Amino acid sequence: MPRWVRTLAGVVAVAAFACGFAAAGLVVDLDRTVRARFEGVRFRVPSRVYGAPTILYPGLDWRRIDLRGALARLGYREATSSEALPPGQYLWGAQRVRLHLRAFNHPSRPEPDRDVVLRLSGSTISEIRAVGSGDEVGAVMLEPEPLGAYYGPSREQRELVPLSEVPPHLVDAVLAVEDQRFETHRGIDLRRIAGALLANLRAGAIRQGGSTLTQQLVKNFFLTPERTLQRKIQEAMMALIVEARYDKDEILESYLNEIYLGQRGATAVHGVGEGAHLYFGKPARELGVAESALLAAIIQSPNGISPYRDPQRATQRRNLVLDLMLEQGRIDAKTHDAARDEPLRLAAVTPDPSDARYFLDLLRRQLSLVYPAEVLTQEGLRIYSTLDPRLQRIAAEALRNGLEAIEKRVPALARAKSPDTLQGCLVAIRPQTGELLALVGGRDYRLSQFDRCTQARRQVGSVFKPFVYVAALEPRQGPPTITLASRLDDTPLEVATPSGPWRPANFDDAFHGDVGVRDAIEQSLNVATARLAQRVGIPRVIDVARRLGIESPLPPVPSLALGSAEIAPLELARAYATLASGGVRPATQTVEDVVDDAGHVVEKRRLRFERVLDAGTAFLATSLLEGVAERGTARGLRAGGIRGPIAAKTGTTDEERDLWFAGFTPDLVAVVWVGFDTPRGLGIPAAVGALPIWRSFIEGATGGVVRGSFPRPPDVEEAAIDPMTGALAMSGCPERRQEFFLAGTLPRQVCPSDATREGLLDWLRQRL
Amino acid sequence: MSVGRDARRAARLAEATALRGARAHAAIALLAALLAALLAAGCAVTPAVSPAPALRIRDVAGQGDEARRASLRLVLDGLRADSAHDTERARGLYQRALQVDSGNPYAYLALARQSVESEEPDLALEYVDRAEDLFDAEGARTPGVDADLDGLRGAALVLTGDADRGAALLDLAALHAPEVWSDRRLDADELR
Repeated sequence: MPRWVRTLAGVVAVAAFACGFAAAGLVVDLDRTVRARFEGVRFRVPSRVYGAPTILYPGLDWRRIDLRGALARLGYREATSSEALPPGQYLWGAQRVRLHLRAFNHPSRPEPDRDVVLRLSGSTISEIRAVGSGDEVGAVMLEPEPLGAYYGPSREQRELVPLSEVPPHLVDAVLAVEDQRFETHRGIDLRRIAGALLANLRAGAIRQGGSTLTQQLVKNFFLTPERTLQRKIQEAMMALIVEARYDKDEILESYLNEIYLGQRGATAVHGVGEGAHLYFGKPARELGVAESALLAAIIQSPNGISPYRDPQRATQRRNLVLDLMLEQGRIDAKTHDAARDEPLRLAAVTPDPSDARYFLDLLRRQLSLVYPAEVLTQEGLRIYSTLDPRLQRIAAEALRNGLEAIEKRVPALARAKSPDTLQGCLVAIRPQTGELLALVGGRDYRLSQFDRCTQARRQVGSVFKPFVYVAALEPRQGPPTITLASRLDDTPLEVATPSGPWRPANFDDAFHGDVGVRDAIEQSLNVATARLAQRVGIPRVIDVARRLGIESPLPPVPSLALGSAEIAPLELARAYATLASGGVRPATQTVEDVVDDAGHVVEKRRLRFERVLDAGTAFLATSLLEGVAERGTARGLRAGGIRGPIAAKTGTTDEERDLWFAGFTPDLVAVVWVGFDTPRGLGIPAAVGALPIWRSFIEGATGGVVRGSFPRPPDVEEAAIDPMTGALAMSGCPERRQEFFLAGTLPRQVCPSDATREGLLDWLRQRL
Repeated sequence: MSVGRDARRAARLAEATALRGARAHAAIALLAALLAALLAAGCAVTPAVSPAPALRIRDVAGQGDEARRASLRLVLDGLRADSAHDTERARGLYQRALQVDSGNPYAYLALARQSVESEEPDLALEYVDRAEDLFDAEGARTPGVDADLDGLRGAALVLTGDADRGAALLDLAALHAPEVWSDRRLDADELR
């Protein structure tokens, strides 16, 4: 053999070896990349936050809770026939609703799916019975509504769905249109490539892709969308590696969870789980054949074939998918025809009026103390919160309408879309448990994400006054400073302070002389209250405020009694909640539990309580505030016809810069604040600005009838008094009024002031 | 903080302590006296207590307004889940019961029972106090309710290490509701 031939053979051999070596290296490298993704964190799933579930029970007003709306938001479909009603559907008949509730998939407190009939009587659910057994059911639960999610920088939203929960017809639809030989090829489909080449040559442009489903998955997982030969070779090699390493089911499951299916605002929707929610408002497992075909049809160009944007084109493409399914024997003719005849039935796209984003931000701030940002945005936690979506919607609407009404009344305040627009916030909590039920931190989250209920501290004005009265009514190492029958002095007052004498004045610039305790708070008299605070001592007022739940700095100055301190609305709500729950301060709760992507409960939060005030004093304070709502500065509450027990207080700061309304029913505490971020006068008092917002919220929440009562503790007595003097009213007393007293604090004076009567009373006291 | 409530609680604790002391004296009398005298002594030193009907939540499930009745049904479902050792589901149902009626004292009682079982005494004491407040506020205290409040508070105190006070309250509960508290614990089925 000539020498040059041997040399050439050697060079070729070396080159072949080098190429082989390089190729092997490349394969090893690609294999490592594939394994790292498939065996590591395959998907980044944002954590999702849910609201509290809606509970249906006999006696509930279904109109008030907007049952139809709740079902629509949860993606329940109205069926046309009651035969075999599947989960997620309902049939609304005359005076009855058949409802097949979905199962609630929670690891530790799951609820099975339940097929029930709700009997309706007017607007009331009169009875609930299980379909089949006919057994009466005490209460049923709708699954929690999703409120939002915590996204990473890519803003991808997906709900992971295991292949076992994907309906077979959805898999068939996807394979029919995207990769009909998926079950048999090894990652590359040469027939498909050849077909695509021919089609593209005929068209003179790239019209058709030859990629298998595995190649599409590889492209989405590892590669950029550019169309170069090098990238296509890489894609093919990786597809072969994926097929060699993993089984078809695993590849299919990854694909179904990865594919891009469109946009929800700025958020990219990936995977059939999230896609099913986006387009049909229901979980993927509930998709029918026509819906599955539509979802598969969209894959090619989610925004171009969007059924919202171009329903006709989407329907054509859906029907093409159905035809392919029939051709390939994946469905029979009857199913095909029925699916083709189905009109597009898409989830309603309505802007969420609840605007729970302030709440989501609060939750994120709280959760970030426990979970790093990457965990919240990538690890698919399910966070079950306490927020009541219905109350949240009512609160958002009440605040929006209320602020608009103020601007109509005082046009000078209207500065639409300006950063210095009139602002407000509303927060509501359940007093007995401390659960946060609604939070609207501002007028428009898009314009300002600053949460005025939790992040802002504003001067509180007269909503602070109840703490003065609590301090005076509370017995501590001796009798209380006052009872509800006491008289207070509303005459000019001057208190020496380091910055000079302090002379409080009343709202009407008048002094009212000798006034009853109830008159003083009902008319929000500053001077009488300031003098009472001096008697009790400012440190004791601060102590009460602290015990009730106020955490903001409270300067120990005389004007504190009139609300000169700056406090966040949420703190104020917590303090009023303590009064509403009879002196027991609940820990504020925003989260019930947190579940990780593997289905384990990683955190559960318990209801916690601490008694900080005796029940009797809390009851007396509540009774005072009931008077404010009945006869005092908050009497406008009843204007809309709202009935039942309400305790409330208005607060208007200097120059009407801050308008407050804080109040409670036995089941609900709410605080409203209205003002400008940069304080300036509004020209109206709280009773005109903040009260209507609170009233609108409570009317919406309760339907206008407040349930329950403020129960009188056993150590509170009731007796008739003479309102003019505060003396016990005996027969012959010209005026009398029933009043409450802590045991042992009945007035010693009697009306008429008769020594004989006094003696008789003493005799009775001794014996009782 | 609550003068009346604390006074009542102190009275019950005094009764419990007196009961323990009285029993010790009765034991000495047993050794020393004849049968007839023993009978008389026993009558004299043992407080005259007639067992109270035990609290069964199913017996009150039809009381109150619609929200209370629905809430009580959820508590009963929760107790059933507790009986089946499905404590997390039970807790969820108690929380739902409070969502429907946040002033339902029976829900707090069930939570207190569960917290004692899971050896969380601080939590149990908070729930017992809350239940007691609400029973007081509703005027719904019965001897059966008192026995459960005493027993659960006693069991929680024993768990905190306050064995004497805890045992005294458990004795008192057993005295007032022996069919429930003689074993010094409250089963979910017994409360249901």
